[in-house]
Amino acid sequence: MSDSVLTARALRKTYRSGNRRLEVFSNVDFHIAAGESVSIRGESGSGKSTLLNLLAALDTADSGTLAWDGCAKTGNAARGRFVGIIFQAFYLIPELNALENILMARRITGRIDPAARARAAELLDRVGLKDRGHHLPSQLSGGERQRVAVARALMNSPRVILADEPTGNLDEKTADSVMDLLLGICAETKTALVLVTHNPLYAKRTAREYFLHEGTLRPVR
Amino acid sequence: MPWYLYLAFKQLFPSGRRVTFFTCASTIGVFLGVWMLIIIIGVMSGFGYKYSRMIIDTQGEIQVRGTFIDNQEQLRGIIAKVSGVAATTPSAEGIVMIEYQKRPNYPGIIGVDPESVEKVIPISKYLLQGSMDDLDDDAVILSAGLAYALGARIGSKVTVVSPLTLERLNQDTYMMPTELTVAGIYEFGHQQLDKSIAIVTLRRMQELYGLGDSVHGINVRLAPGADADQVARAINETLPAGSRMFARTWMQSGEAFLFALKIERFMVIIIVAFVIVVVAFLVTSMLLVAVARKTREIGLYGALGATPWQSAMCFCFQGVLVGTLGTFLGVTIGLLTLSNIDPIARLIARVTGNWDLLVEIYQFTKVPAHITAPDIAIICVFAVGMSTLAGLIAAFRAAKLKPVEAMRSE
Ligand SMILES: Nc1ncnc2c1ncn2[C@@H]1O[C@H](COP(=O)(O)OP(=O)(O)OP(=O)(O)O)[C@@H](O)[C@H]1O
Ligand SMILES: [Mg+2]
Repeated sequence: MSDSVLTARALRKTYRSGNRRLEVFSNVDFHIAAGESVSIRGESGSGKSTLLNLLAALDTADSGTLAWDGCAKTGNAARGRFVGIIFQAFYLIPELNALENILMARRITGRIDPAARARAAELLDRVGLKDRGHHLPSQLSGGERQRVAVARALMNSPRVILADEPTGNLDEKTADSVMDLLLGICAETKTALVLVTHNPLYAKRTAREYFLHEGTLRPVR
Repeated sequence: MPWYLYLAFKQLFPSGRRVTFFTCASTIGVFLGVWMLIIIIGVMSGFGYKYSRMIIDTQGEIQVRGTFIDNQEQLRGIIAKVSGVAATTPSAEGIVMIEYQKRPNYPGIIGVDPESVEKVIPISKYLLQGSMDDLDDDAVILSAGLAYALGARIGSKVTVVSPLTLERLNQDTYMMPTELTVAGIYEFGHQQLDKSIAIVTLRRMQELYGLGDSVHGINVRLAPGADADQVARAINETLPAGSRMFARTWMQSGEAFLFALKIERFMVIIIVAFVIVVVAFLVTSMLLVAVARKTREIGLYGALGATPWQSAMCFCFQGVLVGTLGTFLGVTIGLLTLSNIDPIARLIARVTGNWDLLVEIYQFTKVPAHITAPDIAIICVFAVGMSTLAGLIAAFRAAKLKPVEAMRSE
């Protein structure tokens, strides 16, 4: 497991609302190797999003450890370079056009130089939106928006992409094409992928499959 | 450019779209506040400035007064040596009757020394017609109002009767009325001063009033940068003891009016400053709405690697940008308005129909405007400062959001 890019051990997460406590999971181990693809399925409310947030260090666990390969610390500054996150609800910035949205990932973590612009244009082309660069998110279809989000996630050449139900808001046909794109692009660029999905067909297309149920993460395959 | 500055800019001016409602509304708010502040301060200080210029131009910065000063040459010599004094001129004043073509008038009369007067009281500057060079002992310069009332023009011969004539009548001697030629007509732009004043040579005045060699006062012009109060004090110290003469500054003679203006200016500034505070509240609430509306998006900045502090700066900068833009517009348009304030005021007065009333109250026939660089600087700092504060309030709200919670919000 020396080539592992992301390792989490004994994660425990409890939500507190008022005086009630809800333990989502108490002891989850997770790791993913460089360039590997892993899917996580589970019922609604089983804690998939919670786990993904912990892996992205967007949220902190009650206990347990998280390590990003090559990063001394997990946190805001490292996140932008190390992980690319794709959400169900796209989350593009409405004031920026497609190209600028992709560039935003670099803007936050570093500098915009001609090389960055070239990479953004190349990614836009790769996700099939070459002629949509100047469209605002409101001028793009759902599938196109998620393609922009995929390109944005890849902008900084992250080691791992965390995708939380990336096709949840899309119709079946669009979802298929976005999923083809995501899996294809990750394989091409040897970027590790953690895919949270409800769809067993998509899960099957990853190298390993997990199922999250009642606080335990069980390997299916 | 840091990303938060870039994004702040883009949120105000999105790509390929017209400016947002927020940008327009808040910029116009700041603009209106600053514009008003510039105009009001400009006009209020304009009255003060114009009034002080006028007092100084009509009497010099310092007046030395006594009942009868008969050793004026010697006294002027003493005063001229006081440091800060640039020039001195003697004067005498009184009231006479002037008649032209059976139209009598009772103006104030001032006797000035043609040799030295221009260095202290620049009458030439205010002459509408004629020339100071023509002011000899048989000539008179009339104020515009007086010339109009008499129907006299340049070259008209007017008859002057002094109170001395009546006095002589009591002593059974007769004094011939004096005939003087109008050599000039002036207008200071101040209603009272332009209404009814005649200027003659000092020698003529001494004759009309039987003053002999004595004068009523000495007017003093200061060197640029000299402090009037300080020089007046120094003059008072050098004046011969027991001479019953006293030097006072123009600020002391116009004190009441200048004080009223100062109070008025202060009140108006307070009121308009409140207007800007209200505008700042508008900017704050609009930015807070933006923060609330963009809660999920702020979570996204975090997911892309931003620190909460950076996300906060994005909103803070929007306040700063709006404030700077509005202030810039306000100052520019404000200064443009001030430089055309007179025609604008006349237009407004014509609509409301109270121009005469305004002239009556403020005595000026032109609306003056005067604004100093420090005044403008204070306005800018205040307006931009308030908008920045507005931005900061919104920024703190944004900084408190945790990315996960922000993105889960509905
Ligand atoms: N901030 C919170 N406070 C309290 N409880 C929470 C909070 N966030 C999530 N939960 C609870 O934790 C559990 C796991 O939530 P999570 O969003 O991870 O589920 P999920 O597996 O992603 O579900 P879905 O498939 O519907 O997206 C849920 O029962 C949810 O109610
Ligand atoms: Mg979820």
